[in-house]
Amino acid sequence: MSNNWEMVIGLEVHAQLKTSSKLFSSSPNQFGSEPNENVNFIDSGMPGMLPVLNFACIEKAIKTGFALNFTINKYSVFERKNYFYPDLPQGYQISQFEFPILTEGFINIDNGQDQKKIRIERAHLEQDAGKSIHDIDPKYSFIDLNRVGTPLLEIVSYPDLSSADEVVNYMSTLRQILMYIDVCDGNMQEGSLRADVNLSIRKPGGDLGTRCEIKNLNSFKFIKQAIEFEFQRQIEVLESGGSVEQNTMLFDTNTGETRAMRSKEFSHDYRYFPDPDLLPVNITQEQIDKIQPTLGELPNQKLDRYISELKIEKDISKIIISEKENTKVFEQMVNDTEVPPKLIASWLVGDIFAFVKENNLDVSSLLEKTKVIVELLKLISDDVISNKVGKEILPQVLNGENSPMEIVKKMGLEQVSDTSELEKIINESLQDEEENIAKFQGGSDRVLGYFVGKCLKASKGKGNPKLINELLLEKLKK
Amino acid sequence: MSDIDIKRISYLAKLKLPQEKEEFYANSLKEIIKWVDNLKQIDTNEVKPLHNVINATESIRNDEINKHNSVEEVLSNAPERAQNFFKVPKVVD
Repeated sequence: MSNNWEMVIGLEVHAQLKTSSKLFSSSPNQFGSEPNENVNFIDSGMPGMLPVLNFACIEKAIKTGFALNFTINKYSVFERKNYFYPDLPQGYQISQFEFPILTEGFINIDNGQDQKKIRIERAHLEQDAGKSIHDIDPKYSFIDLNRVGTPLLEIVSYPDLSSADEVVNYMSTLRQILMYIDVCDGNMQEGSLRADVNLSIRKPGGDLGTRCEIKNLNSFKFIKQAIEFEFQRQIEVLESGGSVEQNTMLFDTNTGETRAMRSKEFSHDYRYFPDPDLLPVNITQEQIDKIQPTLGELPNQKLDRYISELKIEKDISKIIISEKENTKVFEQMVNDTEVPPKLIASWLVGDIFAFVKENNLDVSSLLEKTKVIVELLKLISDDVISNKVGKEILPQVLNGENSPMEIVKKMGLEQVSDTSELEKIINESLQDEEENIAKFQGGSDRVLGYFVGKCLKASKGKGNPKLINELLLEKLKK
Repeated sequence: MSDIDIKRISYLAKLKLPQEKEEFYANSLKEIIKWVDNLKQIDTNEVKPLHNVINATESIRNDEINKHNSVEEVLSNAPERAQNFFKVPKVVD
């Protein structure tokens, strides 16, 4: 049924800025504190209290401006967005409306083979609201104002997205960039990054339909489910002859359904006007120039460098750059040693990440272990031990039991690269194998693998496979 | 001048007006708007909007934490509380 309909989606992403204090007050900007612990009289909306702008929020906005290709506006204005709700004690949210700090940006998202440019209309600074808890008491709501005044950057895309997967791709790309530049911690579970989805449907090439806004989605899974449900809902409304009403929707995470939220009796009117408590923000070119060098390498720049300079496969590079922590660990190892980056990369995304996952560790815990990991990899690349032995002793190395070299010595696992010793093993292995030798000489290459395996086994895994291979060939070709 | 929807205005302002007073307030608001409308006699096409009358830049502070008020102080004016939460009549959208 959905074959001849397409969806048109724009996204409003709210990113909580990673600052110590709040946007307009010096209360801690911290998740998980006791209720109303991080609240002062400014946050609780007491009369006569005056907001004072936290410059770190301007800095983070400017950084985002560079990373998302925005025009950075030197002049921006804070305005009041008026509405009543118990978790907004001021009676208005301080936001930016007509003069936002960032306008006209874009990012490219990677759709497998090609890239798609997603244009971003604007990004503005605003205050977060508090939290209402409705499910403790049947008659009362409980209010925690800790989140009031947390700095948010609201990033508003153009309706350039056309599927649930694309939305998830866009949002995770955005998340990755914001985490790289240290603007947002990206923790969606804690609400550090949330999205409102604006969705309408149309026939290909047709006019845009009426859009509905699904509020406050805080996981990729929910974003996907909500979009897919809302898409079908709008199709059903239109195909049964109805019309889509412009509505604010809530996504019910239990049923996987969207439903209309705000009272429709009267339409909202936020009555924006410049906040008389705050003067317009004027940023100087000097301030902007100072911030640009703090940006660091962005994810796509890292990806390009890993592939072209370090000669690492694209798939492996992508896994490494997917989290900033991964790149820190990886680059610390690369800088520490002459072991080829390619070997480091494949061990990192393979056995090392598997170990981290199995033991429920953070990737960042590896930062203290890069030295011993590199020692281990050096033993492998120098042919002191085999790849196989390396894998076997990796857990001991990561558990910090002993230095790699000592483990190897203690267990007698040093690779045998002594030609005479290997020749002895080969000679023994080739005894009573006349039939297979004949096969090899008759042209069956597969037998070679069998012989190598047999020799390795006879050496208890310590024989240098490369050397065994060479010596075997020499011998068999005689 | 457009008519005044006093019901909508009281809804947005979260004010409950007694029905017999609705007309009185609607007329008062009309008078105010009529008076402010005098400004429309001036041609402002060439005038940029002014966001503040003080010719100064927003003062800013460094990103430092200061805990000015305790939970007890913050909750001391609350009509009702439950543990350290504000307790309010149930509001659900």
